[in-house]
Order: sequence, then C-alpha cells, then structure tokens
Amino acid sequence: MLRDVALQDMELDTLNLHLKKITALLSAVLGASLLYAAPVQAQSATPVPDNGTFDVEQLFAGTCGFCHSAGGRAAGKGPQLMNSPRADDFLHTRIKNGKSGAMPAFGGAFTDAQIDQIVKYIRALKPREG
Amino acid sequence: MKERWCKSGLPLIAGATLMVSSAFAQSVDTARIENGGQNDWLTYHGSYKSYHYSPLAQINANNIGNLNVAWTHIPGRSTRGLQSMPLAADGVLYYSGSYSRVFALNGATGEVIWSHFPELDEALISRQTHSPYNRGVALGEGKVFVGTMDGRVLGLDMKSGKVLWETRLIDSQKLTVGFTGAPLYAKGTVIIGAQGGEWPGRGPIFGLDATTGKKKWEFLTVAGTDEAMKTWGNDSWRTGGGGGWMPGTYDSETNTILWGTANPAPLYDWSGADYKTQGARPGDNLYTSSVIGLDVDTGRLKFHHQELPHDAWDFDSAVGEFVMLERDGQKFVVHPNKGGFVFVYDRNLAVKNVWRLVENINFVKDIDPKTGALIGRRDFSAGKVTEPPLCPFIGGGVSWNAGSYNPKTGLYYKIGQEWCMTLDVQKTTPVTAPQVQLNIGADFKMVPPPGGEIYGHLDARDPITGAKKWEVRYPEPPLGSVLSTAGNLVFVPDSRGILHAYDAETGAELWSHNNGTGHQGGIVSYSVNGKQYIAVAAGFGGMLADEYAPNFGGVYKSMPRDDGALVVFSLK
Ligand code: HEC
Repeated sequence: MLRDVALQDMELDTLNLHLKKITALLSAVLGASLLYAAPVQAQSATPVPDNGTFDVEQLFAGTCGFCHSAGGRAAGKGPQLMNSPRADDFLHTRIKNGKSGAMPAFGGAFTDAQIDQIVKYIRALKPREG
Repeated sequence: MKERWCKSGLPLIAGATLMVSSAFAQSVDTARIENGGQNDWLTYHGSYKSYHYSPLAQINANNIGNLNVAWTHIPGRSTRGLQSMPLAADGVLYYSGSYSRVFALNGATGEVIWSHFPELDEALISRQTHSPYNRGVALGEGKVFVGTMDGRVLGLDMKSGKVLWETRLIDSQKLTVGFTGAPLYAKGTVIIGAQGGEWPGRGPIFGLDATTGKKKWEFLTVAGTDEAMKTWGNDSWRTGGGGGWMPGTYDSETNTILWGTANPAPLYDWSGADYKTQGARPGDNLYTSSVIGLDVDTGRLKFHHQELPHDAWDFDSAVGEFVMLERDGQKFVVHPNKGGFVFVYDRNLAVKNVWRLVENINFVKDIDPKTGALIGRRDFSAGKVTEPPLCPFIGGGVSWNAGSYNPKTGLYYKIGQEWCMTLDVQKTTPVTAPQVQLNIGADFKMVPPPGGEIYGHLDARDPITGAKKWEVRYPEPPLGSVLSTAGNLVFVPDSRGILHAYDAETGAELWSHNNGTGHQGGIVSYSVNGKQYIAVAAGFGGMLADEYAPNFGGVYKSMPRDDGALVVFSLK
C-alpha cells in the first residue's frame, strides 16, 4: 500500500533529508485513505476543508484531542486552542516543530498546507452546545 | 555507540569497588531476587512477590521524627519528570532517568560510580508523546538492563556501566513507540514489553538471553495466537494497540512470567452494544486489557484472563503488580485493573474474587466476583457521553505505579483515584496500517464525579477480600508508588511534593517532608553497612501529571514538568 511505502521511507536515517518527499507522499496517502472512509457523522463546527479530504475534526479525535481537551475547546495536557491569542504563524510552527517534553512535532506527518488547514480549523472552533 | 563518562568517575569506581567488593562476588540471580534480601531492592517490584515492602525496621514508627535527607542526586534533563523505581544491590543504588540515563551511585553517599547516557535520535523523540521518561532498570548476572525510547534494550556492565550488548527490538521510526517500562530479569531471561495502547501496532513482549542479548522469543499481545486472531474483526488486529509497558513478575513454581497488557486502539469505540460485530475493532480483542502467563523459556502462552473483553474505556491491565500471597493453604495473585477493580486469581490466573478499590465506577455496573464477567457494560455509540460522565477518568481508578503489601499487618496499601470524564466519541476512519499518530477515537475532558469532588485516597485493605481497615484522603490523586516497611510504616509520595509516612496499623500521619516538586515514580528502602535508607524519585510530568495544572491550579501551576531529583533519607 501507498502508506507502507511512505513509512518505509521514514525508516531511512535522517528524517529531515526526506521530509519533502515524505510529506508529499503522506498527503497523497491521507487523501487516498479518507476517500474510502465513511463520511463523518458528528456535527462539525468547522468550514468544509479546502481540498474536501483532510478531516481535521477526525484528526483531533484521533490524536490532538488526547492533549487538547474537548477537541481543543478546553485546557488539558495542552492549552485550550479555541480563541487562542497566538498568531497563526506561532500555531503553525508549534504544530510543525512541537515542543520538547510537551507537544509532539507533526512536521513529518503533515504538509504546510495541511497545517494551515489545521490552524484554520482551530480559528473556527466554537463552544459545543449542550 | 558513544559512552559518556563522569569526569570524576574513575577514582570513585575504585573506591566503591573496594567498599562493595565482597558483595559483588555474589551476583544477582533468580534465587536471590526470589528471596528478596533484607538489605537490597533487586527488582522493580522488590522481589518476585511484588510486595513493594522492606523488611528493614531501623527506621520505624517510634523514631521517624529523626528521618532526614541524607543525600540527593540530580539526573538532569528530567523531561516529563522522574518516573523510575530505584534498585539497590550490595550497597549500590541503580536508577534511570528520562532519555534512559542510567546511574550507579554509592548507596550511602550518593557519589556517582558510573553513568551511561545512551545516544538517542532526538528527531524521533520529538515526534513521540509518551516519552522520553524511563521507569526503571533490571539487574541480573552482573548486568544492568534498560530499554530505550528508540526500541532498544541495553545490557550494561554492573561494575563499569560499559555496554556489553545492545539489541534493537522495535522499529520505532515506523511505529513511533519504544520502551519506557523497566525490564524484568528471571532465569537467564530479560523480559520487556513495548508501549502500545494508543498506537496502531501489535504490542509485543520480548524475552532476551541475558548473557548475549539475543532475542529468545516475542509474544504479540494483539492476536498473538490463532484463537486471538478470531477476536479482531475486519483486519483490525493489524493495528490493535496492546502492549505490556510495565514489568510483571515471575512465578518459579510454574516457570511462568505473569504480565499485564495494555488497551486496544482506538481507545474509544463507536460500536455501541454490537461490539462483537460492529465498530472499529469488532470482537473481544485478545489479549489486550488482560493478564497473561507466558512460559519464561519460550514465551508460549500458558493461561490468561481478559479483565475487560473489548475494552472500550482505556481501563487496561498494564499495571505490573502481581502480589503473590498464601492464605489457608491456597495461593493467590492480586492484580489491580486501571478501571478501579482489584482482581484476585489463583496461580493459573483463574478468577477467585474481584473487589472495588474505587467508589466512582460506572463503565460497568459491576464485575462478577466469582467469574470476573462484566455486568451492565456501557458501550458508546458516536456522540456525546455526559449523562452521567464516564467514571473513572482516562487516568484510571488506579494508575500504573504500585501499591504495597505488608506481611506484618496483612494489609494491602493502594492509591485509588476518584474522577470522571465527558466524552465525544467519533466514528473515525478505520486505521488498517501502522501510522505515526495516536489513535484515540474521542474528544474528552476531566470532570468531577456526579455530585462529588475529585480526590485521591490511600486505602489499607485486606488484599483478598478487599475489606477496608482505614483510608487517608488527598485533594488530588497521588501518582507515585507506595512503600511499606517492617518499621510499621507506610510511605506515600504525593502529587504536591509531600512525602508522607503513616502508621501502618492505624493510618495516623507520623511524619512528612516537602521534596519541592510532585512525585510520580518509585520509592524503595535498602541498607548499607547497617544503616537503612529510603530513596524516592521526585519530579512531576507526563500524560496524567500534565492534567493537574489546568484542572487543579494551585501549586501545580508553577510546578516544573522537566525536572527531578532522587532524594534519599536516613535517620539523623
Ligand atoms: C502529548 C500531548 C499533545 C498532543 C498529542 C498534541 N498537543 Fe498540541 N500542545 C501540547 C502542549 C503541552 C502544548 C503547549 C506547549 C507549550 O508549552 O507552549 C501544545 C501547544 C499547541 C499549540 C499552540 C497553542 C498555544 O497557545 O501555545 C497548537 C496550535 C497545538 N498544540 C496544536 C496541536 C494539534 C493540531 C495537535 C494534533 C495534530 C496537537 N496539538 C497534539 C500537547 C499536545
């Protein structure tokens, strides 16, 4: 599978050297895997993503929400992301590079364009009803 | 492989070797660990009995007022706190810090005999979540064994810290996970389990030859047998999570390793009641959230009990305590489950009793104490879970640190945690290949129990029946291990940074000391040249500790989560 190809690439010694290639592959992979995925049921507080395939809400339920409580709406292990006073660039860089002992680096998993989409999602976060 | 040596290390090695030379002649072996010598702490759980108990009584309920800091050691770079259980053999203390830094210290003075800092791939570490803390080392055959975050196990020379062998067991670049738990040494074998749980892998447990480091066997906690394969629908076994990230123990009578396994992934499943056929991982998901017995020589599964079939709540069985008891001619094994129940088994892991340590539990109505069957499970569909919130919180009714059994009082001292969570379960895309991300399956948030407050408690109970003798409460759950001693003492290192000592019979607080930062690691006692010491790891941080500042404020707001110290006490 395409995803396996991408991961084998990641096994190569220096991640950085291969970053460009990997992110390109991974974005293709993410796109592909989500095409066969069932549509998301939960109501979304977000605008439809640009390319219509990269589902940030699922990403939060799978990964980010483990630390950013209530899908980024409350402080948990990580800070509340909804209504963040930080600049877009700051959020982008933090997602890409992480912070030692606090937040994992996702630069190897997502392209800059995808991280921009994540930032856009964060900006659109609203309190959940009920 | 680069080794870093302490500049002042060489003269100290000479001195220390002289001091303990007679003792070094006597190697740490299976029989010695089994007997759990008076002066030593030779394995993570104290001995294979897993009592976390010291028979030393020099420090006792009458003189504890004179207990003071003897020495401290700063391991440096304690990212996510200092979480390890120190070990002591023949006057030398061995312990590990974050980034798998290993130290051998003079147990009486804290002087560094040697240190070893493995070289790690920092780019990999920066991608990991449950990292780079390390929870301890194992001793055996003149070696110190330690796992690393990048999937290796090292065998270090006990006298010099020199790397004698190194074995890579997990492709951490691909799976993200590695080793954080202490290995177990038994019968010429080093046993260590991988992280797993949240990550889409198959959670292996490995047995290595202690002499050469060669892999002897590997057991997959996800679908490790044909029978187990049938319990994972739709190929979900490929990425089922599992793992066994805390050391279990060894039963020499049956030649068996007893081990607790971690949860399946995704943590939260949207299957609803039809979990046998629907959802992200249809079926019981063997051998996740289970206790298993493996042949120490071959890794073959001999028996098991799945504490939570199709665990849909992340209340796994990874806690490593297997308290080995005998009562009225019957042999028992006591194992706490993260959901807040304590399971009592016979030596073949057949259920003998199940009792509740924790008050706020609603993921099931009950667990049948005769069979261990879950009664009235709460299986979620996609959507919100608020009425009532799920109890306990994802941090568990018990956490991974250990309780203590005191054979003199016959009581089991164990921390319980009272907290709950709201959830929004998501119907996530099926994950069919290992990828670099976590696989949680829901958004969530910590909330107080319905109609009550969050708190933690130390219970003193009968380990077989669960009958409670006394209880001490804390405003926030303590997260460190518990120690009891023949000096009629129970030590609890709490989250605010206070080390408490209680009367083991009554629970009356006799002494306390502020270590200056929260505890989330081990505590042991040992003796050197006739003097008793208590060693405790201080240093807060990690997945559960990180929830404290936002939820509890107070002292946690300024508490570092990248710092730590080993603090050692003795009588004045
Ligand atoms: C292991 C826990 C963890 C995970 C998983 C995690 N984060 Fe974080 N995140 C943190 C922590 C802790 C911080 C605060 C870092 C600091 O100290 O500045 C943070 C900070 C951030 C920030 C900057 C916010 C601010 O105000 O400083 C953003 C944006 C962010 N995370 C987004 C994400 C996204 C998107 C994901 C998933 C792809 C994610 N995080 C996954 C723990 C996590």
